Amino acid sequence: MVPVQWYLLLAAAVFCIGLFGILTRQNALLFLMSVELMLNAANINLVAFSAYWGNVTGQTFSLFTMALAAAEVAVGIGIILVLYRNFNDVDVTLAKEMRW
Amino acid sequence: MAAFDYAPAIVLLPFISFLVSLAGGKYLPKGGAFGGIAATAGSLLLSAWVFLTVSAGNAYNETLYTWAAGVGEGTTTLTFGLLLDPLAAMMLLIVSLVALLVHVFSLGYMNDEGETGLPRYYAGLGLFTASMLGFVVADNLLMAFMFFELVGLCSYLLIGFWFRQEGPPSAAKKAFLVTRFGDYFFLVGVVAVFATFGTAKFAGEGAFPVLAEEALNGAAEGVSTFGFAPETWFTIVGLLILGGVVGKSAQFPLHTWLPDAMEGPTPVSALIHAATMVAAGVYLVARMYGFYALSPTALGIIALIGGFTALFAATMGVVKREIKQVLAYSTISQYGYMMLGLGAGGYVAATFHLLTHAFFKALLFLGAGAVIIAMHHDEDMWNMGGLKDRMPVTYYTFLSGSLALAGIVPFAGFWSKDEVLYEALVHGLGGSPLLLAGYAMGLVAVFFTGFYTFRMVFLTFHGEPRSDVARDPHGVRWNVKGPLVVLGILAATVGFVNMVPVQELTGIHLEYLHDWLAHGELSALTSEHYGELLHDYAGYTSAELASYVAGAVSLALALAGAGAAHVLYNVPDPDEHTEKLGAIKTVWYNNYYQDEYQVWLAQSVVLPIARLADKFDQGVVDGVVNGVSSVSLFAGSRIRRVQTGVVTNYAALLTLGLTALLVVFGLMGGWFA
Repeated sequence: MVPVQWYLLLAAAVFCIGLFGILTRQNALLFLMSVELMLNAANINLVAFSAYWGNVTGQTFSLFTMALAAAEVAVGIGIILVLYRNFNDVDVTLAKEMRW
Repeated sequence: MAAFDYAPAIVLLPFISFLVSLAGGKYLPKGGAFGGIAATAGSLLLSAWVFLTVSAGNAYNETLYTWAAGVGEGTTTLTFGLLLDPLAAMMLLIVSLVALLVHVFSLGYMNDEGETGLPRYYAGLGLFTASMLGFVVADNLLMAFMFFELVGLCSYLLIGFWFRQEGPPSAAKKAFLVTRFGDYFFLVGVVAVFATFGTAKFAGEGAFPVLAEEALNGAAEGVSTFGFAPETWFTIVGLLILGGVVGKSAQFPLHTWLPDAMEGPTPVSALIHAATMVAAGVYLVARMYGFYALSPTALGIIALIGGFTALFAATMGVVKREIKQVLAYSTISQYGYMMLGLGAGGYVAATFHLLTHAFFKALLFLGAGAVIIAMHHDEDMWNMGGLKDRMPVTYYTFLSGSLALAGIVPFAGFWSKDEVLYEALVHGLGGSPLLLAGYAMGLVAVFFTGFYTFRMVFLTFHGEPRSDVARDPHGVRWNVKGPLVVLGILAATVGFVNMVPVQELTGIHLEYLHDWLAHGELSALTSEHYGELLHDYAGYTSAELASYVAGAVSLALALAGAGAAHVLYNVPDPDEHTEKLGAIKTVWYNNYYQDEYQVWLAQSVVLPIARLADKFDQGVVDGVVNGVSSVSLFAGSRIRRVQTGVVTNYAALLTLGLTALLVVFGLMGGWFA
């Protein structure tokens, strides 16, 4: 059996990849993908600890997270569509008219 | 007492007439006049009933409504109540009778002349009457102040009745502002009375004049004089309240509004000058005479203001061309006599003069109104003349009023004016020499009064007509003549209620007004009690002097004035003899330049001060506030740059913040140790 630390390391790596994506990219679609990565890093943690403790609560919770992620993508795609309609692009740095 | 249960209706009836005229006057016949007549007639009947009940020795002093109850110790409770004593009962009769006659007269002066806006007019008259009646029955100073202000408001509305012309709105504003200036001091005085005594009731247990008397004896608890000696403090409070009196009763130097108030309809002038508004000031002093009697300084000032005003206004009346202007100055002068009487310790005398003056001045104004109708609204006496034969009813009633005003025996004004002067003289000789100055001024004014009164009569009614209108004057109907006849009889006879000189000569008991005011259930409000107060606290003592001697002196002066007028003006075609006075005439005709001086005071003194205050307000006060806020504005304008609007930056900051938190927790939790 793989020790739980490896799973945690994997999750940390996936989370950091997602975070890196958000901090460096300007494309809104890539943002959405990066957010998915970060959510799934959390899912890995939940499942890993669930297996470790022999308790199914964590796995059940990860199912909820997936449903939530799906909903989030639906909303996110909607926002991106509006962004595109207004700016003819999906670059997140363009939408800053409302600042100060 | 049943009469007292219905007493609130005396005030409410004219108020209802006000509401009716206001809401439905244009649907009513005569613009709501009959409602007003019915309401004031009802008030008059109820007043008469109250008068009869009071004359049976009863009095009423009850709180009817508490509109702000004080909670806990040392707080004040604000109430409305009724105080019906002999003074109030007498005043109720005067006010409701004059108001009724003015309403009837208005039928002739307003309706028959085809005026528009009559519902507004009758609504104003109703509210005016209601306010004054409410003021008369007020049982505490705050309630009195509120109705005092209502009276001022109504005078504004009615003086400015013809608001489309140029003069009336300006005169209305002037009346409102000048009286408001005095009322400002009155308001401060009311607050001072509350702060000092914790109550403003005129009569009964713990009334403020009673508390003041106890405080002077060192026996009152809960009276705070703010570190002053009680005598000094009571004088200050009395003088503050006197500010309102001087404004409303048109005493020097706040008399300037009254001649301008002649811009209003003549019946309104009659109401203002005879029974309401101007009478309110003098009535207020009489109402709280128990308080003023404690302060010789305040009394002296009242007497001097009164005496000076009496003379000052009488001189200006000598040269006026317009009939209503002469009457206006005579009003100021006569109220000066009342103030002199009050200040000289002649409580009964001043009240007596208030009574007689109400009737003869209402008569004179209504008579002038009849003349103005006849002259097609020309008020210049130099265009009149010879009206005696063409309008005999008006002439004889007007003559009755003029004889009363001039103080010719046996008309009403003689008895009251002489009693005022007699009181000033005996108390002056009895050890208060200040009053002698007031007496002297009052005495000189008697001559001028006789002169200007008969100058007015002769110019208006005698001689040859000096214009086409005067040759063929407009007729007047019963609704003008009726009130004139009633008042004409009263002006001739009302003085008989109090003929002190005749009593002294013949020994027959004739001083009914003295008896009326001397006793009562509320012993602190009787002239007997006031007499004791004047003797004990103000140090007034009477010199021995027969009143018919003083009376003879002033009668001689009045006759001299009237005689001078007779010689100069009772000729077929009189000249303007006042022109011979030269510069004095110019000064008198321009009212001693009082208006100019007050305008100068406002423009050259008050305005720069106001500008300076404005600068201070805009510069220093607002400057500090603006300075503080500019710091925030500047800081905000810089700090808001953090909000770039770029999502990535926010995410980076979030991450950095989280990392920093983790590091801090780690360091504090000892993970790296």
